Amino acid sequence: MNATVQSRQRILDRIRTATASVAKPAPELRDAYAALPRPYIRRGKKTVEERIELLVERLREYDAEVVETTPDGLPAAIAAQLGASGKHTFVAPAGLDPGFLVGGFDWKIDYDLTTAQIELTEGVVTAASCDIADSGTIVLHHTASEGRRVITLLPDWHLCILRRSQVVETLPEYFDRFETSPALVTWISGPSATADIEMTRIKGVHGPRFLHVILVRD
Amino acid sequence: MNTAILDPKLAPPFREAVLPVLRNPMLRKNVAHATEVIQNKRARLVAEKTDWEELREAGSAIRTHVLENLGAYLLQFEERCTAAGGVVHWAGTADEARQIILDLLRQENATEAIKIKTMTSAEIQLNPYLEAAGVTVHETDLAEIILQLGKEEPSHIVVPALHINRSQVREIFSRTMGLKDLSDDPKELTGAARHYLREKFLRVPTAISGANYLIAETGAVAVVESEGNGRMCLTLPETMISVVGIEKVLPRFQDLEVMLQVLARSATGERMNPYTSLWTGVTPGDGPQRFHVVLLDNERSAILARPKERQTLKCIRCAACMNHCPVYRQTGGHAYGSCYPGPIGAILTPQLMRMHHAESLPFASSLCGACYEVCPVKIDIPAVLLDLRADVVNRERKQAKRAFDLMYIGLRIANTLFSRPWIFHATQRLGRIGLRLFTAKDGWIKWMPSIGGRWTENRDLRGLPDQTFHEWWAARAKEQK
Repeated sequence: MNATVQSRQRILDRIRTATASVAKPAPELRDAYAALPRPYIRRGKKTVEERIELLVERLREYDAEVVETTPDGLPAAIAAQLGASGKHTFVAPAGLDPGFLVGGFDWKIDYDLTTAQIELTEGVVTAASCDIADSGTIVLHHTASEGRRVITLLPDWHLCILRRSQVVETLPEYFDRFETSPALVTWISGPSATADIEMTRIKGVHGPRFLHVILVRD
Repeated sequence: MNTAILDPKLAPPFREAVLPVLRNPMLRKNVAHATEVIQNKRARLVAEKTDWEELREAGSAIRTHVLENLGAYLLQFEERCTAAGGVVHWAGTADEARQIILDLLRQENATEAIKIKTMTSAEIQLNPYLEAAGVTVHETDLAEIILQLGKEEPSHIVVPALHINRSQVREIFSRTMGLKDLSDDPKELTGAARHYLREKFLRVPTAISGANYLIAETGAVAVVESEGNGRMCLTLPETMISVVGIEKVLPRFQDLEVMLQVLARSATGERMNPYTSLWTGVTPGDGPQRFHVVLLDNERSAILARPKERQTLKCIRCAACMNHCPVYRQTGGHAYGSCYPGPIGAILTPQLMRMHHAESLPFASSLCGACYEVCPVKIDIPAVLLDLRADVVNRERKQAKRAFDLMYIGLRIANTLFSRPWIFHATQRLGRIGLRLFTAKDGWIKWMPSIGGRWTENRDLRGLPDQTFHEWWAARAKEQK
C-alpha cells in the first residue's frame, strides 16, 4: 500500500512538472474546457418520420427484426415476437410493465436470479432508455425496466421495446438528453459480432445472437 | 511458426526484424488483405459523415486539453471513482503495475483470471508474469485466444491476429481444443471459441481489463468492444481489475459524443461498435462487487514533458494509422518488436523505452503523412517521427565509432560544403568534370565505381548539365546590363 502512495505522489509530481507551463490553474479549468471548439453537428435535420425510417434501416442492416405498433397493440406484438422465436423461457427485469408479460410463456422475473438460472433462459424482454437513429444504437441505462446487465447478455435472444419518443437522430442529441451520466450504460449497436478471422463478419460471438425491436407509437 | 519478439529490449532493429516477414508471402498476403478491407470500410463511413473534419478537430482539442491538465483530471477521477466504491492504485512503472495486480489476485486467492483484450497489459507483459506466479490467464477476445492458444504474438492493436488466416486458425483450434472435425469456416471457428469460453466466463470469478476511457467528472470507466466477451468479463465475475494508462482520461461523460463517433469508424469501419460498456465504481447487485483501477505511468509523464512529443498521448488506439501505413502494410506488426506497431508504435515504443531501445523505429517510415491524415485526433505523427529521428542522430553523432562511419564522414563533408558557397561552387565544377568521364553520349550516367555504383546498379543517373542554375542566373544578369 505504502509503495503505491509513494508512486502516486511521484507520478503526480512528474505530471505537474511536465505540464507546468500549460496547465490551467483550478479556477480557470472549467472555462478552458467550456471554450473547447465543438464545431460538429449536434442536432439532426430529419423529421420524426425520417428519423424513425433511418433507425429501422440501421437496425435491419444489423439483421435485427423491427416491427412497429400502437400502445394498444403492444401485448399482441410481444406475443407474436415471442411466439415466432420458437423459444419458451424468457427472463424479464423486475420493473418491466406487467402488461408486457404475455401469457403462454414461462417468465422468470429477475428479483435476484442467479447466473445459472439466467443461463437456462432462452430469451429476454426489456425496455431501453434511448435509441440513436444515426448508428442504430440502443442505449440501456439498466433501470428497473431495463434490468441488470447480465440479463441482456446471457440469453441468446433479446426483444427490446422502444417508444418512438425515445428515438434521437444523432449521438450528441443523446448526450443532450442525458447530461449527467447514469452509473451504468450499455450502448448496443447490432448483435455481438467479430471480424477477427480474415475480416469476415460473424454474428453472435458471446452476447445475444438475435435482436428484435418493437417500436411503439406514443 | 512464430519467431517474433515483441519486447523492445530484446527485439532486433526494424531493418533486421523485417527480413523474415518480407520472405513470408502468406503473412504479407494476410496483412495486405485485412488492411485493405478495413481501409475500404472506413473510407465509406467517413465519407458519409459530413462533419468528419469538425469531429477530428474537437477530438484533438479535447485530448490536448486533457493532457495539458492531466494532473487535475486524474485527481478528480480518483476522487469520484473512490466515492463510487472503486479502489484506485498508482503504478509508476510496468513492474509496479504487475506487482499490484498480482497482489490483488493473491488477496482474492485467484488461481485463474479471465481477460478482456488490453494493450496496456501487453505493454507491461502481464501474462507471462502472472503465469510465472502461478495464475492461469484466459484471454477471451477471439483474436487474443487464437494468439494465446497458437503461442503467437499480436501484430495489430485492434485486430491482433490479422496475420493469421482461417486455415491457420483451424489448425490452432483443432490442435488445442481437441476438435478433429473442425472446418475452416470462420463461423464454425467462432462457434468453437464461443463454446470454449462460455464455461470460463461462468466459472472464473476474477477478471482483468484495460479501458478506453476514464471519465473524470463521474469516476466512470468505459470499454469499447465487439464480441461481448468484454461484457461477460465486466458483468459475471466478482472482482474486476482494470489497468489503464494515465492518459486515458476524459473530462466529462459528454465528451464520449465525440470519441464514440470517431473511434469505431476509424478502427473497424463501423458506425458504432456492437458494445460499449460504462460502469461507475461498484453497483450493488449488478456486476463485480470489488473493482480496482491501476493507473499506469510507465514513462507517460516523461512523454508529457516534451511539448512536441506530448501529442503521442492523444492516441485513442484506433489503429487507422497502421491500416493506412505503406510500411506497415508490407511488413505487418511483428517487425516493430513491440505490442504497439505501425506509425503510432514507431513514436510510442521508443519513448516508452526512454529512447534506449527501439531507436530504429522512427526510421521505419516513408514520412508520407497518411497516418496524420487519417488520425481521428490529429496526431502529427510525421512531425514526431522527425523529432525523434533528430534525437537518435544527435546522440549517435557523439559516439566515437562514428568518426570512422562512411555515412557520417560523408555527411560531415557535405555539411562543410553546403555551409560555404565558394567551396560548394568549386565542388560543383570539379564534380562536373569528374562525372563527364562516366556520362554516356545520351547524357545519362549508367555506371559509376565504388559507392556511386550502389545507385547505378539499379537505376541510371542524369549527367550534370553544363551550367548550374547559379551560373545561368549570373550570366543572364550580365547580359541584361
